[in-house]
Amino acid sequence: MSHPTVTEADAHATGAHIEHDTNTGISNTKLAMWLFLASECLLFGGLITTYLLYKTPLEGPSGKDLYDIPFTSASSFVLLMSSLTMVLAVSAIERGDHHRMRVWLGATGLLGATFIAGQIYEFTAFYREGLGFTTSRFSSAFYTLTGFHGVHVTVGIIMLVSLVFLSVRGKLPEHRSETVEVVGLYWHFVDVVWILIFGIVYLIP
Amino acid sequence: MSTTISQHDPVPTEVLDGAVAPYSRDKTYVFTALFLAVVTVVEVLAVELPDFPLWSGNMLVPVLLLLMAVKFFTVAWVFMHLKFDKPILTWAFYSGLLLALGVYVMMLTMFRLWYGDSASVRSS
Amino acid sequence: MAITEDRPVEPLALPSGETDADYKPAGVFTRPKASKGWRSWVTTVDHKKIGIMYGATALFFFIVGGVEALLLRAQLWAPRGTLLSADLYNQLYTMHGTTMIFLVVMPIGAAFANYLMPLQIGARDVAFPRINAFSYWTYLSAGLFLNSSWFLGGGADGGWFNYAPNNGVLFSPSHGIDYWNLGLLIAGVASLTGAVNLIVTVLNMRAPGMSLMRMPVFTWMTLVTQFLLLFAIPVLTAAQVLLMMDRLFDANFFNVSKGASPLLWQHLFWIFGHPEVYLMILPAFGLVSDILPTFSRKPIFGYPFIVFSGVAIGFMGWGVWAHHMFVSGIGPISVTAFALTTMFIAVPTGVKILNWTATMWGGKLQFTAPMLFAIGLVLMFTIGGLSGVTSAVAPGDTQQTDTYYIVAHFHYVLFGGAFFGFMAGFYYYWSKVFGYMLNETLGKANFWLMLLAFNLTFAPMHILGLQGMSRRIYTYDSGYGFELWNRVATIGAFILASSIALFIFNIFYSKAKAKKLPPVSPDPWDARTIEWMTPSPVPEYNFDPVPTISRVDDFWYRKYGETKDGALVRIAETDDVVQKRSDGKHIHLPSPSYWPVVVAVGLPIVAYGLLYTLWLSLIGGIIVVGGIFGWALEPPDDPEAGHDDDDHAPDDHSASGDEAVAVGASAEVADDESAAEKVGEPVG
Repeated sequence: MSHPTVTEADAHATGAHIEHDTNTGISNTKLAMWLFLASECLLFGGLITTYLLYKTPLEGPSGKDLYDIPFTSASSFVLLMSSLTMVLAVSAIERGDHHRMRVWLGATGLLGATFIAGQIYEFTAFYREGLGFTTSRFSSAFYTLTGFHGVHVTVGIIMLVSLVFLSVRGKLPEHRSETVEVVGLYWHFVDVVWILIFGIVYLIP
Repeated sequence: MSTTISQHDPVPTEVLDGAVAPYSRDKTYVFTALFLAVVTVVEVLAVELPDFPLWSGNMLVPVLLLLMAVKFFTVAWVFMHLKFDKPILTWAFYSGLLLALGVYVMMLTMFRLWYGDSASVRSS
Repeated sequence: MAITEDRPVEPLALPSGETDADYKPAGVFTRPKASKGWRSWVTTVDHKKIGIMYGATALFFFIVGGVEALLLRAQLWAPRGTLLSADLYNQLYTMHGTTMIFLVVMPIGAAFANYLMPLQIGARDVAFPRINAFSYWTYLSAGLFLNSSWFLGGGADGGWFNYAPNNGVLFSPSHGIDYWNLGLLIAGVASLTGAVNLIVTVLNMRAPGMSLMRMPVFTWMTLVTQFLLLFAIPVLTAAQVLLMMDRLFDANFFNVSKGASPLLWQHLFWIFGHPEVYLMILPAFGLVSDILPTFSRKPIFGYPFIVFSGVAIGFMGWGVWAHHMFVSGIGPISVTAFALTTMFIAVPTGVKILNWTATMWGGKLQFTAPMLFAIGLVLMFTIGGLSGVTSAVAPGDTQQTDTYYIVAHFHYVLFGGAFFGFMAGFYYYWSKVFGYMLNETLGKANFWLMLLAFNLTFAPMHILGLQGMSRRIYTYDSGYGFELWNRVATIGAFILASSIALFIFNIFYSKAKAKKLPPVSPDPWDARTIEWMTPSPVPEYNFDPVPTISRVDDFWYRKYGETKDGALVRIAETDDVVQKRSDGKHIHLPSPSYWPVVVAVGLPIVAYGLLYTLWLSLIGGIIVVGGIFGWALEPPDDPEAGHDDDDHAPDDHSASGDEAVAVGASAEVADDESAAEKVGEPVG
């Protein structure tokens, strides 16, 4: 790898230069979000590992008795589709289409809220069937893992609502479209974590 | 940037920060979502119909893991724009992911989770 | 190659055409302006002030932790000591360990990283100045929260790692471990945000020409350290969330009667804990790698080896955690595997020792105070490293586990290694930070006293440990041969305390003396790296203009060249090469902000609420969320940042509130070049 000389670097300055003012060419915010998400992998990894370890309860109902696969599949599908609306919102603001962006952001938030409502319903149903938080090692691990994910989704919904609010107030011009993209990254991450949880917790026997 | 690009065109890299390729047209996103939906349906079918020859017997878990991985990487690749952005983002994210996979799989192995005789974990 | 670039001085305008950066989007959010007085410290976003605050706070906690250690040593002065009860002794060693690791060594590393790293890469500030302030205030509130347990029912009492099931309510009914747990969760937020911030800074904000392989070694080690933090902290967070659920909400993660495995805690803790020990030592390694070449008047021997051995240590540090668990029944195969990986990790560490030795070999050594401390690190760390290798031998470790041998080992690496390195850093950089030199004679006395006292304190512990004295036992009986060495260690500990007192005396003594001396030169040590180009103390804007870097040790080669036969010749006077203090009026710096403090104050309130009444948590939560919204709605402070980075979506917890400091138009010049060569390079 040859290093550019100072003169070469100077010569380059007059050329067409986009707004990259960082060494990597990636904005600080986006790089920071990716690093944060990388670190979240280890957090959720730890919780998923704990769940795997404690999957079989010594007392009380087990996952096999409780899980309602069709219902959870439907709510997983809802969350999956919210990723589509999210990416469409990002796409809209990058094209300068504020109206469409707000619509898609709203749709994403709504799908996310549907997912959370499903989770609340599911928790209530499990509780009625005798699975309290303190019932068994399985119940603690299950509620902690899925609840932690639910908190992440909720934080995401708050961010989406704030974005819509900012956009309506005219505080989200195109040159800040990256804010939407970065919130989108967070949202997609929450979605991929659910893909893992859905597979590992619900589907794999 | 004042001109509006329609949803049928890719987003050019000039309006993006750090992208090496233009972002997709919206149609691509929709097709990706359809693909993900199909994979999800297959996942659920695999669990509901365990006797299907492809995943009957010992193959169910590997098939589910594979489908899960496919969904995970598709979302990261297309929706999270890793396909279009500079590779350093892929490096950053996957280093965390692989590290998590490495240490936690090692840890579960030490708990003998995969062997079915894991005394400390399974016995009652 | 002393080419610097001119900076365009045209007025900066907001992209929207507004020229008034003071507009108030929600009517109330103006940014604070104080540049003097206490207010300027509370609201500052300047990485240098934040670095100083990190250092000062860490020294305060160092004294707290030191007093705890002295109490422990006083209790062990004679058999059947009666100074402390068994319970208080448990709390003291737990809090001593926790304080020294989380509130002293890690933050001093953060202090150096904050102050020096942006200077070493030629940046204006870190990537997210407000998040930087937030990290500091969160660290402070975590430290105060943790130590407030002394006044609210007693400290944690399970050892710094608080093994399960001892950490359960059943065995530790006081709130001590809750304070420990929630305090370190909050400190984790500080570390994580700091890590993201500093990594982005190193990757994104380097001066023109400063490619990764031209960065000073300290910056490299900072990068590795922050990656370790980034990935290690969430593992601890996961473990602590489980513990919190157990202790506060009766979950069953470590409840053996419901089939839980206490080993889960040990695994998670040490998956975090072993990278943790490396991230404590690597900043000191970095400092020493910059100090030894300066006083040997030779370049560092094998720069790429030093860098990649640091990266290798960071990487391999993830595969050795179970060597802390050799006696916990993990099985012979696991023990063998981890014994092997542990021995392997000695290799990159040995590479560093070799490189430092080779750097000094044949050099014109100048035995200044920083140099003495740096050599002290090399020697003391080698002893600690060797005793570490003896512990990697699993059968030997079975004997050594939970004895004073282990205590001796980790004090040799953490005090003899990390802290000697930090002392070297203090003496080396003091003039750069505060504008006056620390007294050299006192500094040398400081070194010899500390070296003597350190070895008096900790060397006998090897013997005590091999004789079978257990750690964490509040007393011992006479007749086991423990009396003499305990007495020596206690005497050593008090001399060690006096050497710290001498250091603090030196700070004030030198400051008083400095009033009569001429202003300190920017480059008193004839150093090699570019932070020495700035005036001392460093002006708020750091560099004016930002230098263009063309090789490792760029500053040195602005002063010295080589003849054909390799002899060193001076090509420029230092005074002509260093930068003059300018008024810096044309340089835009990020404005101060109240919000980082607000959010950081909210976090311990949430934690107190979890312990006492959830209403308090609600109040704390409102402060945190409100603070984040205030943060996000604060007017953009940087007119130039309008195009992509100013403030950010609310509630985006640790990665929120972006405020890229424009490196200045001139810095953009070579950026595309370095970006291009960066692609495809692994990042850690």
